[in-house]
Amino acid sequence: MTTVGSLTRAQLGEHLAGPGIHLRTGRFTTLLRSPIASVADGIHLLYGDYPLREGFADFHLDLVRPVTLRRWLRPQVTLLYDGRSMFKPLPLDQAFPMFEWGLNWCVSSRANRYLIVHAAVVEKAGRAVILPAPPGSGKSTLCAALVGRGGWRLLSDELTLLRLDDGMLHPLPRPISLKNASIGVIREYVPGSVMSRAVTDTVKGTVAHLRAPADSVARAGEAALPAWVVFPRFEAGAAVTAEPMPRADTFMQLAQNCFNYSLLGAEGFTALADLVERSQGYRFRYGVLDEALAFFDSLP
Amino acid sequence: MASTWRLVPGQALLHRGWDGAFVLYNDLSGDTHLLSEEAMALLLALRDGDVTPEELAALELAELLATLRRLDLIEPC
Repeated sequence: MTTVGSLTRAQLGEHLAGPGIHLRTGRFTTLLRSPIASVADGIHLLYGDYPLREGFADFHLDLVRPVTLRRWLRPQVTLLYDGRSMFKPLPLDQAFPMFEWGLNWCVSSRANRYLIVHAAVVEKAGRAVILPAPPGSGKSTLCAALVGRGGWRLLSDELTLLRLDDGMLHPLPRPISLKNASIGVIREYVPGSVMSRAVTDTVKGTVAHLRAPADSVARAGEAALPAWVVFPRFEAGAAVTAEPMPRADTFMQLAQNCFNYSLLGAEGFTALADLVERSQGYRFRYGVLDEALAFFDSLP
Repeated sequence: MASTWRLVPGQALLHRGWDGAFVLYNDLSGDTHLLSEEAMALLLALRDGDVTPEELAALELAELLATLRRLDLIEPC
């Protein structure tokens, strides 16, 4: 099997600037083209373990510099989906984060064979914890710590894919998006962590992406059984508290975090109800990563 | 307030309950509602014709009926 890592940085750049690469992430293949050096840098650094495939692609993405007068004054990048511009251009420096955000958009708006929850999801011994949370709750920091030091497998940092036919969680391991202070926190907390260059002044502040563990990427075909739903909230210095949630509340909060719950209608309701029935929900507060990891290891 | 009520036609009352709280999918609006045990029992009774006009006219039910109507789950008949 050919992987991104089998190409040198120069070869990868040539492919991206020319015919593109068929990048396999989980069960999705993206035909990605871009002549922009920072995109090739990011792919080379973070996607070395991912397979390259030929043939069909689920998504066709191009990251290009728009041809406008502004390009001389303030260089920009545009993301094209199926050749069409769907998003506002961003400063050129944000080209690699734009790829990550664009691919998230592709999955969350197109993969309707799954119920998709805006949540991180990690697994140990076949059982998965879903971590839904709004921005700023410390979800990605916690996810990075769990997979970087806690021995959990990364299914996804951002998109929990619930299979409608059997209720299993389908992995989509990709780089973990870290923001602002959590970049430094994880760099110190996870030894040997590999991160993309921090990009400042994005809509999310400063962002950097953490490479997914190779084992998680290799096991991208291995689904997991949902067992817990943990709504995290980071509070500096706070002691760990974990308050069990009534199932009906867990259901309602999960539904609010779904991308396509309404679209799936009764089918989405049933899938989510089945998930809630087999999972225990918690409101979880943490201030220290070591203590948070100890809680996850104590889950019954 | 009307004294006889029925489910809005088309409601299948797809629901799931745990520990006395229920979630219900509204087939017509696409909304999901969090309901008490009493509300769910009333909806099921209306579906099954298991409640009399006299019972529905009881003052204690007025607020609950008004809430279920606002959620487009029931209508007067």
